[in-house]
Amino acid sequence: MTTVGFLVNPIAGMGGAVALAGTDGQSAEALRRGAVPRAADRAVQALSALPGQDVEWCTCAAPMGEDVLAAAGIDHYTVLYRPAVPTGAADTKAACRAFLAAGVDLVVFCGGDRTARDVFDAVGREVPILGIPAGVKMYSAVFAVNPAAAADLIHRAGEVPCRDSEVMDVDEEAYRSGRLTARLYGYACVPYIAERTQGGKQVFEQQDEERAKNDIAAFIAEIMIPDALYIIGAGSTTARIMERLGLLPTLLGVDAVRNGEVVARNADERTLLTLLDEHPRAKIVVSPIGAQGFVLGRGNQQISPAVIRKAGLQNLIVVATPGKLAATPLLYVDSGDVALDREVGDSLQVVSGYRIAQRKRIVHPE
Amino acid sequence: MQTKILLDEGEMPKRWYNIQADLPTPMDPPLHPATGKPAVPDDLRHIFPMELIRQEMSTERYTDIPEEVRDILTLWRPSPLYRAKKLEAALKTPAKIYFKWEGVSPPGSHKPNTAIPQAYYNREEGIERLATETGAGQWGSSLAFATGLFDMECTVYMVRSSYDQKPYRKSMMQVYGAECIPSPSEKTRSGQAILDRDPDTPGSLGIAISEAVEDAAAHENTNYALGSVLNHVCLHQTIIGQEAQQQLATVDTYPDVVIGCVGGGTNFAGLSFPFAGAKMTGKHPETDIVAVEPAACPTLTKGLYAYDFGDVAGLTPLMRMFTLGHDFVPPAIHAGGLRYHGASPLVSRLVQDGVVRPVAYRQNEVFEAAVLFARTEGIVVAPEAAHAVKAAVDEAIKCRETGEEKTILFNNSGHGNFDFSSYEAYFAGMLVDYEYPAELIKESLSRLPVTG
Repeated sequence: MTTVGFLVNPIAGMGGAVALAGTDGQSAEALRRGAVPRAADRAVQALSALPGQDVEWCTCAAPMGEDVLAAAGIDHYTVLYRPAVPTGAADTKAACRAFLAAGVDLVVFCGGDRTARDVFDAVGREVPILGIPAGVKMYSAVFAVNPAAAADLIHRAGEVPCRDSEVMDVDEEAYRSGRLTARLYGYACVPYIAERTQGGKQVFEQQDEERAKNDIAAFIAEIMIPDALYIIGAGSTTARIMERLGLLPTLLGVDAVRNGEVVARNADERTLLTLLDEHPRAKIVVSPIGAQGFVLGRGNQQISPAVIRKAGLQNLIVVATPGKLAATPLLYVDSGDVALDREVGDSLQVVSGYRIAQRKRIVHPE
Repeated sequence: MQTKILLDEGEMPKRWYNIQADLPTPMDPPLHPATGKPAVPDDLRHIFPMELIRQEMSTERYTDIPEEVRDILTLWRPSPLYRAKKLEAALKTPAKIYFKWEGVSPPGSHKPNTAIPQAYYNREEGIERLATETGAGQWGSSLAFATGLFDMECTVYMVRSSYDQKPYRKSMMQVYGAECIPSPSEKTRSGQAILDRDPDTPGSLGIAISEAVEDAAAHENTNYALGSVLNHVCLHQTIIGQEAQQQLATVDTYPDVVIGCVGGGTNFAGLSFPFAGAKMTGKHPETDIVAVEPAACPTLTKGLYAYDFGDVAGLTPLMRMFTLGHDFVPPAIHAGGLRYHGASPLVSRLVQDGVVRPVAYRQNEVFEAAVLFARTEGIVVAPEAAHAVKAAVDEAIKCRETGEEKTILFNNSGHGNFDFSSYEAYFAGMLVDYEYPAELIKESLSRLPVTG
């Protein structure tokens, strides 16, 4: 029997249909523009698809959970938190703290990127979290691909492994004014069913994410050239390379390494440009970040177009686990420099194992 | 215009062709793994019969095919040569495409061409049992078939992931009377050691080779058999190319392009060596001979020409060949038979000398060509053979663009009737386009053993 803490951000997703690019602080405006709350419907879809009743539910009152459980035909649950109306980020965090205090095994939330961040703020890596997608933007990788997949993951939460998944911090103010600033905010623990191809009941590829990260790290460590500058990060795949070198990584930032030593930790763009002046022979090692598979422009914006041009695009090494690549069949680049993005071309080699790479298609956002 | 060109059983070649006789200089010798000195016949006696060791080292141009072996080969040989007219029409090419169809053998591939003589020579020297490894199962089922015909026992160590994924290959071996064991197994010390370290390992060809060699060395009545790479295996396969030469001669044709896929390299050798011999000796110097490999394991296009071990553990003699490094474990592509870090030393030598031109393709483009082939010629080819189909299609398209009426010949080495799950994966868009990060690796092939 799994105990699940369940909450809904009732206003999540309202901004999308009325062109608000997110609903943070905009729910009144969204409602004024005629938006209809949709998070509840998405959550009901997911919970109605649950195959069994072997879950013990903890939730919040009224629109923050209870209503959805009832609509999905679930009548046994405990209400642990009663929010003020209208609900806000503080309610999400308070509900999560109540779930943790009650000893839940998993926190399931229905919302978007901002909700994910609030849940992560409160839960951290204490227990796994899982998002039912309902937001305007979902750059974070903590969401199931759809409500049905969420149902499957909740049902099997106790038996499937978890993996590190990016929580992204998207600046909604900037986003509404046409700029996308997505920072890597942290890594949540998310239940995961390995990508598999069923064909005649055979599993072709079932990759162990941890083994894959180790293989990638071993390979990159092996091909490092003396005296060259290595700009590495951000994210857990590139962090493993640092660990392989015996160095402490900046999980959410970019480090610079030369001859096995850290020459800059959590470096910003200016630091990287200065280092490149001193050491023009350089390689940049990045990994796609977030649910959409952005190679550049999300979560690693320190590695700016100027940095890439200075190091040379040919010195960009992209790494990613097979699991990540299977979940993101197309990759994106959005460095902020359209000409540079075009130079990347229509496909990219991505190192996915020890001396193994994959050729992946690149999509250029219009 | 004839679709099938058939030979009578009496026209089947009576000798195998040894390309070593036509090389401008001798092959570099294999080296003993412990001493680094050239290996001598005695080094191999504990696992191979003397006649096969003689063939391995021979520079005689021809070796007679024993009567008893020829008798068995007539079960499916001479194999048909087809003109792929419907494929030509679909491609709107002026090229003529011919293919040698080896899928007509009972196990469904070219492999029994060498399994039969290998079993025969072992039985002639009093061996009662053969141990071998198999990856995708083509070789294991062929040796099972061959040993059954000679009343010999056979134990096949099958890479565990394939054992689980290809249950019908395993069943086929059982039908032929062989024992098929998932590798690593508890039957050998080397298998047990791997299992102790990693009980969930999917296994690898390198591990399975170690188990089969250990089994053979530990049993007096048992020898080891290898289905690819070695010179004597190439030799046995040359019956394919010799038949093709005879068949094309009946329609007054000689190929401009000869194509085969390369894993260890022996089906390619089988078709191409008679044509390569004619090229080197000046009879047909312009023939374009193309070796096709997967981009995931591009031994000939991206590897180094150097001495390296034939197996992962470093137990075999060192051979001079193109290699990606004996510790390279290729990704799990569906053409399991092409997942080998090295290549036949003879094929490697011909690539090094410029007699053979290597090319590499990714999985999805290969399956796309295989589907076109199935929809025009009707044959669902094995993923390995699909590489040759892809190269043939590309050559034919080039002819469409240039207007040249070239004659293209490729080896269709086996059927894909046990590989539908791979086709399913292709249609589901789940095939990964693996490639080898050659540019990044250039400086790191340092793991090759230092010799000389």
